[in-house]
Amino acid sequence: MNRAIVPATKNIERLQLPEVQQAQLDNGVPVYMVNSGEQEVVKIELLFRAGKWYEGNNLISDFTNRMLREGTSTKSAKQLADEFDYNGANVQYSVGFENATVTLFSLTSKAEMMLPLLYEVLTDASFPQGELDTIINNRRQRLKVELEKNDFVANRNFVGALYGQQHPYGRVTHFEDFDRITVNALREFYKQYYHADNLLIIISGKFGESLFKTINRVFGGSNWKGTPANRNITYAIESSSQLTHHTEKPDSVQTAVMVGSLSINKHHPDFAKLSVLNTLFGGYFGSRLMANIREEKGYTYGIHSSLLSYPHGGFIEISSEVGKEVREATLHEIGFEINRLRSEPVSEEELQTVKNYMSGNMMRSIDGALKFSDTLKGLIIYGQSTDYIHQLLKTVQEVTPAQLHELANRYFDFSKMYKVTVG
Amino acid sequence: MIHFEEFVLSNGLKVIVHPDFSTSMAAVNMLYKVGSRDEDPSQTGFAHLFEHFMFEGSVNIPHFDGPLQRAGGENNAFTSNDITNYYDILPSNNLETAFWLESDRMLSLAFEEESLETQKSVVMEEFKEHYINQPYGDVWHKMSALAYKVHPYHWPVIGLTLEHIEKVKMRSAKDFFFKYYRPNNAVLVVAGNVQTTEVRQLAEKWFGEIPAGERWERNIPQEPEQTERRLLEVHADVPVNAIYMAYKMCARTHPDYYATDLLRDILSTGDSSRLYNALVKEKKLFSSIAAYTTETVDNGLLMVEGKLNKDVTMQAAEKAVEEVLAEIASHGVEQRELEKVQNKIESYIAFGETNVLNRAMNLAYHEMLGNASDVNLEIKKYKSVTTQAIRETASRVFRKENANVIYYYSKN
Repeated sequence: MNRAIVPATKNIERLQLPEVQQAQLDNGVPVYMVNSGEQEVVKIELLFRAGKWYEGNNLISDFTNRMLREGTSTKSAKQLADEFDYNGANVQYSVGFENATVTLFSLTSKAEMMLPLLYEVLTDASFPQGELDTIINNRRQRLKVELEKNDFVANRNFVGALYGQQHPYGRVTHFEDFDRITVNALREFYKQYYHADNLLIIISGKFGESLFKTINRVFGGSNWKGTPANRNITYAIESSSQLTHHTEKPDSVQTAVMVGSLSINKHHPDFAKLSVLNTLFGGYFGSRLMANIREEKGYTYGIHSSLLSYPHGGFIEISSEVGKEVREATLHEIGFEINRLRSEPVSEEELQTVKNYMSGNMMRSIDGALKFSDTLKGLIIYGQSTDYIHQLLKTVQEVTPAQLHELANRYFDFSKMYKVTVG
Repeated sequence: MIHFEEFVLSNGLKVIVHPDFSTSMAAVNMLYKVGSRDEDPSQTGFAHLFEHFMFEGSVNIPHFDGPLQRAGGENNAFTSNDITNYYDILPSNNLETAFWLESDRMLSLAFEEESLETQKSVVMEEFKEHYINQPYGDVWHKMSALAYKVHPYHWPVIGLTLEHIEKVKMRSAKDFFFKYYRPNNAVLVVAGNVQTTEVRQLAEKWFGEIPAGERWERNIPQEPEQTERRLLEVHADVPVNAIYMAYKMCARTHPDYYATDLLRDILSTGDSSRLYNALVKEKKLFSSIAAYTTETVDNGLLMVEGKLNKDVTMQAAEKAVEEVLAEIASHGVEQRELEKVQNKIESYIAFGETNVLNRAMNLAYHEMLGNASDVNLEIKKYKSVTTQAIRETASRVFRKENANVIYYYSKN
């Protein structure tokens, strides 16, 4: 047997998407369902348009969501938690820029039983002052610890430089922000944004017909209405006039490095092709940044480049933590790699590796109902149908070195990028 | 229930196949039975450094990642105290690529000086990133040394010092490889959209001719019973005081493991757990608190760690934790509270099993512990734990003389 001969491989020609069923609750709440798999589990995700984009003061969306765990008019925080926990159910609460999300993970056999309790949390949360004080104290303590981490501080400085403090994507938390959180502000935000006209539901896992019926009975009532969030709110971007920001930390042995610039988001027709370029540049283990700065130079444990896309904007973000003595050398190499993308087209072979890797990733991102529901959520937020996935595969597989060369010159310009270092 | 078939090649390689035709992927998981506990005390961190080296080219293939990525695959690895685990996940019709790659690096590595030197730098940066340049980053170094005086769990997986990694020589890498990275010291699991006959044929083709390694006896000095409480005080440049309390507990394969793990859940899993409610919510002594177990093949640790609120003394914090632990040791728990954590575990395992790679890793891990089929007994074992067992375990584990405590003071 000749081990030097590479086994033949097949390219992914099309993707077999799990079926998506769409329905509406009686009160109009859109519901997406992905029903497949062997394990008797279900994930029910409720997305309210109640993210940071919609808050007046910093932390209001975050704390409104956080306080949902702290009790209702009839149950204490402990009683709520006991009831979910006893049934093996796990409820996760999170807030992004656009949505605030409440997700129930449960054995399918217990899920329907948990829904009335979840409804109570979403409609009758009590926002007790005592619990709020405790959570604020804990979050202050946590912020103190985070501020000692170079990567955390670098990220604050980086998004601040890109967007400024008036924009949700750039705003960071200061200790004074905690003083402005009041029970009343949270209650108002809750009333305004947590209701059926501001909600969509994604269900995934293995479940029978009764689940939708129960969800409709519990969440589909007409007494849970409100005004949908105003999607026309806009904020001014106040980018820093200075491109280089360094914070010296004498005791650090490493420096956190962040480099990048404002860019396009998923709404833009170039986005899919640009993400191929970004993957090749710094988006996977075999990328040019990893090959040069980790595998050849040994400057870092890892270096990555991402295209961050949010509904109202996007940016390129290159990040790493490197030995302090090679801080400047790392910046130099990042610039060198960007200029290389701009000056010469990538080889067909290198591009083919990236195409195949990304196609495999797309296959992984639709594998199983739970995993696919995350991909589906990403599509729904941008108003895209599942057809987009097939188009994306096609775009990824057909993009040429010449197109990437042109995109590199349009979107990657090291001389105009912010360079933020801490350490 | 995870269905699987198994066979052993003549060189001793154990192969487990778990077909699942609902996915179009294949997961290939290779577990080598070697971890940081097998290291020479003068060369700690070696097993993990070696894991990095395994990606730096084998005898016929210059670099591991490229061909796998070209086959649409993704891969990674991790090293623990007990094992080194490698996995590849790729479209199932490209399964052979993973066999080609994994078998070539089991056959022999390229052993290039230059790549060893680079990986030493990469690992030293990893060491700095996670254990030096991080508030409380050195606590695991300190706790391992405090709790283990004889057993090699005395040092953490990353290694004791940067110098140990810096001075590694190629000679040691070769010896290590030909002792531990042999087919008779590995478990291969192939899961997903695969047929057993196909896997058997591929396994024979690619791994069949790799020679078995010499037999060797694992001879690890076991930690003697601890007889008095140990306390270490640390003063460091961190923003808030923290306390770490580690109690010796049984090994992963011991029958008491399940009661101990549930005890940990009672203390710290979910918003209804005891430590959080008593000490963060009611007494407001801590801003955060958690408990976890190290889940090791030899005797492990059950660790409670918390960050103290302003003006709370270490002594008061420790006493308050001890009270919560003593309450279980003396009064036990109600049936309902036990059922709660048993239900949580059942649900946790069910969600874990939605992922084919997870199933593959679990099969490999249980095979390493003794028997792959034990993976299907886990829920039953957790469910057969009684309130009496919880109470007995608590009184055995939470003894003062079994505790290793670190007062981690903020200098600021």
